[in-house]
Amino acid sequence: MKHRQTLLIAAVAASFSAAALAADVEAAKGLAEQNNCLQCHGIKKDKDGPSFLKTAEKYRGKANSEDELVKHLNSGKEIKLADGSKEKHKVIKTIPPNDAAQVKNLVQYILSVQP
Amino acid sequence: MSNSGSNRGGTGWWAALRRPSAKYSLIALLTAGFAGGIIFWGAFNTGMEATNTLEFCVGCHEMRDTVFEEYKYSIHYSNRTGVRAVCSDCHVPKDWTHKLIRKVKASGEIWGKLTGSIATKEKFEAKRLQLATNEWERMKARDSIECRNCHSFDAMSPEKQQQTPYKKHMQAKLEGASCIDCHKGIAHKLPKGYKDPNAKDAEEW
Ligand code: HEC
Ligand code: HEC
Ligand code: HEC
Ligand code: HEC
Repeated sequence: MKHRQTLLIAAVAASFSAAALAADVEAAKGLAEQNNCLQCHGIKKDKDGPSFLKTAEKYRGKANSEDELVKHLNSGKEIKLADGSKEKHKVIKTIPPNDAAQVKNLVQYILSVQP
Repeated sequence: MSNSGSNRGGTGWWAALRRPSAKYSLIALLTAGFAGGIIFWGAFNTGMEATNTLEFCVGCHEMRDTVFEEYKYSIHYSNRTGVRAVCSDCHVPKDWTHKLIRKVKASGEIWGKLTGSIATKEKFEAKRLQLATNEWERMKARDSIECRNCHSFDAMSPEKQQQTPYKKHMQAKLEGASCIDCHKGIAHKLPKGYKDPNAKDAEEW
C-alpha cells in the first residue's frame, strides 16, 4: 500500500513537471532551424554535438538545468570536441535580439525530449 | 515636271530628317549619336541602380514591416567591421543578363503587390514560403554567387574560424555544396512551414 502511494505521488509529480516543461514546440523548432543548430545536433541522433535527447537525459532531475543550458546558448562558452580540441559554441540569436523567452522555450523543449 | 524635283525632296521635319545632311558632317552626327547613347545608357543604368538601393526595396510596407525588420537585426546589417550587405547584394545578380532577368521578375512581384496578392502583411506571410523557395532555387542554381561576391571558402581562416564550421566548409568545398544549402534564413526569419532538411529523420521533430 505504502509502495502504491509513492508510485502515485511520483506519477503526479512527473505529470506536473511534464506540464511545466510543455514548451511551444513549433517555436522551438523554428528557433533551432533559424540558428543552424541541426547542422550539429540531431534530436535523437548524435552529430558533431550530442543529440538533444542525450542532453535531456544528462540534465534530467537536476536543479538549475534550465538556467545552465540558457547560459550555454547565450555565452559562446568553450566546448570540448570529440578529438579533444576546443572551440567556442555557437551563440544563439533571436529575432528580435536577446529575447530570453524564446531561448528559454527552446531549452525547455530540449529538456523535454523523450526517447 | 518642273515640280517633281522639289516634291521628291518633300518638305517639313520628316523630309529634313531623311535628307542627307549638308550642314553636319558624318563625324559630328556619329559623335552626337554616341553621346546620346551614353546619356540613354546612363539614365537606364541609373534607373537600374536606383531600384537597387535599400530605400527603394523597403519602400513598400510589406517589406518594411517584415523582411526588412528582420534583416535589421542580422549581421549583414550591422557588424564589427561595418561592411553592410544590402538587399540587392543578395537578391540582384551583378552581371547584366541575369540582372535584367531578375528585374523583370521583380516587376512581377510588384505586380503581386499592385494586384493585392501580397498587399497585406498576412497575405505576404502566406506567400513567404513560396517566395523564399524561389530565392533558394535561384541561388542554388548559380552556386550562391551573391554570397560568394563577398565570401569564399578559400578566404576562410582555419585559425579564426571555429574548427567544426571550418571542417564543414572544407568538406562542402570538396563536395561542391553551396552556401545556401546550409545557410538559409541568414537575413530573415525562416518562413512558417519550412522544413529543415537537416532534420531528415522527420520523425525526429
Ligand atoms: C558547429 C556545431 C554546433 C552548432 C552549430 C551548435 N552546436 Fe550545440 N554543441 C556542439 C558540440 C560539439 C557540443 C558538445 C559540447 C561538449 O560536450 O562540451 C554542443 C553542446 C550543446 C548542448 C549540450 C550542453 C551541455 O551542457 O551538455 C546543447 C543543449 C546544445 N549544444 C544546443 C545547441 C543549440 C540550441 C544550437 C543552435 C543555437 C547549437 N547547439 C548549435 C556543436 C554545435
Ligand atoms: C556585401 C557582402 C556580403 C554578401 C553579399 C553576403 N555577406 Fe555574409 N557577411 C558579410 C559580412 C561583412 C559579414 C560579417 C563579418 C563579421 O563582421 O564578422 C558576414 C557574415 C556572414 C555570416 C556569419 C554569421 C554570424 O552570425 O556570424 C554568414 C553565415 C554569412 N555571412 C553567410 C552569407 C550568405 C549565405 C550569403 C548569401 C546569401 C552572404 N553571407 C552574403 C558580407 C556579405
Ligand atoms: C555543409 C554545410 C555548410 C555549407 C555548404 C556552408 N556552411 Fe557556413 N557554416 C556551416 C555551419 C554548420 C556553421 C556553424 C553554425 C552557424 O554559425 O551557422 C557555419 C558557419 C559559417 C560562418 C560563421 C563562421 C564563424 O566562425 O562564426 C560563416 C561566415 C559561413 N558559415 C559562411 C559560409 C559561406 C559564405 C558559405 C558558401 C561559400 C558557406 N558558409 C557554406 C555550414 C555550412
Ligand atoms: C545576406 C543576404 C541577404 C540580404 C542582405 C537580404 N536578403 Fe532577402 N533573402 C535572402 C535569402 C537567402 C532569402 C531566402 C529565404 C531565407 O533563406 O531566408 C531571402 C528571401 C527574401 C524574400 C522572400 C520572402 C522570405 O521571407 O523569404 C524577400 C521578400 C526578401 N528576401 C527581401 C529582402 C529585402 C527587402 C532586403 C533588404 C532590406 C533583403 N531581402 C536583404 C538573403 C538576403
